[in-house]
Amino acid sequence: MKKRFIFHIDVNSAYLSWEASHRLQRGDSLDLRTVPSAIGGDPETRHGIILAKSIPAKKFKIQTGETLYSARNKCPDLLIVSPNYNLYRQCSMALKEVIQEYSPLIQQYSVDEFFLDFTGMEKLLGDPMQTSYLIKDKIKEKLGFTVNIGISSNKLLAKMASELQKPDKVHTLFPEEIPSKMWPLPVEELFGVGRATLRKFRDRGIRTIGDLASENPDDLKRYLKSYGLLLWNYAHGRDNSPVRYNNSIPVKGIGNSTTIPFDVEDESAAHLVLLSLAETVGMRLREDDYCTSLISISLKTKDFFYYSHQKKLHLPTDCTSVIHQIACQLLAELWQGEPIRHLGLRVSELSSNNLFQPSLFEKDIEKQKRIDQAVDTIRLKYGAQSVFRSAFLGSGLKPLSGGVIETEEYPMMSSIL
Amino acid sequence: MKIYMQPIESMVWFNREGIPHPLRYRILTEDDAYKTIKINHVLFREEEKVAGNRMLLFRCQGEINGVLKVFELKYELSTCRWYLYKI
Ligand SMILES: [Mg+2]
Repeated sequence: MKKRFIFHIDVNSAYLSWEASHRLQRGDSLDLRTVPSAIGGDPETRHGIILAKSIPAKKFKIQTGETLYSARNKCPDLLIVSPNYNLYRQCSMALKEVIQEYSPLIQQYSVDEFFLDFTGMEKLLGDPMQTSYLIKDKIKEKLGFTVNIGISSNKLLAKMASELQKPDKVHTLFPEEIPSKMWPLPVEELFGVGRATLRKFRDRGIRTIGDLASENPDDLKRYLKSYGLLLWNYAHGRDNSPVRYNNSIPVKGIGNSTTIPFDVEDESAAHLVLLSLAETVGMRLREDDYCTSLISISLKTKDFFYYSHQKKLHLPTDCTSVIHQIACQLLAELWQGEPIRHLGLRVSELSSNNLFQPSLFEKDIEKQKRIDQAVDTIRLKYGAQSVFRSAFLGSGLKPLSGGVIETEEYPMMSSIL
Repeated sequence: MKIYMQPIESMVWFNREGIPHPLRYRILTEDDAYKTIKINHVLFREEEKVAGNRMLLFRCQGEINGVLKVFELKYELSTCRWYLYKI
């Protein structure tokens, strides 16, 4: 078999690096990467957690996922910046543009990670190692942020390689390098080892990846089922998953919300606001080829009380009208009639659009799909305001809320390569 | 050179290929007066895409308060705004 060359390209402290380079471009004199700083979640939707931190912040033992409160206790001078999901998307797309010049087969694994299949490309572009340095330096020079690149003969090892020393580095981890480079690492650093698995490993005295590799696979299977066997294979660097071409950023949830210029007291106005939110959220869903099966709304009253409510769908959808209809149902169940100041809409449990299964009970779904498609195309070509529903005429409300998505959650960890 | 990154008004000539050539710009000074600077010469032009945002950078030469100076202008493609980046 031909020798495979797989690259894993991973942005160093992605959200933070992106914010830092964005600020430098805007003329800021401070580089966030050089001081203790962090990107911190919106306290309302994410209970205020650290999403990314600078390397100087790491020295204070600040961890991704901990509360802003606890992080500030560890480092009172910590500079915390709110997330900017539109910026992350923009950076992710620019990164992809650079990467796809080096192979037709790339997989966007997360908002800041790509796999690139370089197999066979050496005939065209030359040595894989040299090319990887070229990619890394080009990203740094052109886009202003740094990446780590891991190179190996499969995805698992390439990903493990990019996790070695950071930032701005290229590492190889070919099968012959496993004993020296991978086995001494703590077992929790192996791809796929989560907190629950780690506890079981600790109970059995498995501390390093090497310990796991030397276990008897039958024993592992007995207490960890087939997942134990998978991890044992990973510890030996075995993985044969292909680089799967995909054209969109893996997203967990998409949300948008709006503060209304007046207090909403009647139902029809509230429905219009929800429609304007459903428009932007639906458009983004379809842009990325996703369907949602969980819709939630939130509302803040004039007196700053906050309520939220959600509904699970039996049938995933990407249709603006369906999302709106469910949002209105949720509102009816949630709202006591107090004046509303702020409304939010969020979709999650996203699945890929092409797994869509038509239902016998769904009416006119094809027609709805065609309408959404036509409207999306017109808006893309002539601008977001070029076509809107007549219900908004004279309502004093915007037909599309903001036109931008304000929150977008990306999956933090996955165990599927 | 010091970084300013201040929005400016500008006069620019775009050629048939769509390449902009800045001719002069004016800036609001502290005492609320406009000051116009003529660009005598563009030394070089560079494209950057820091954080995914496309900008053109122009290293220029022109006369400021009777002294020949080198300065940099930036053009942000997504907003069509011009900035005095550095002097
Ligand atoms: Mg990363």
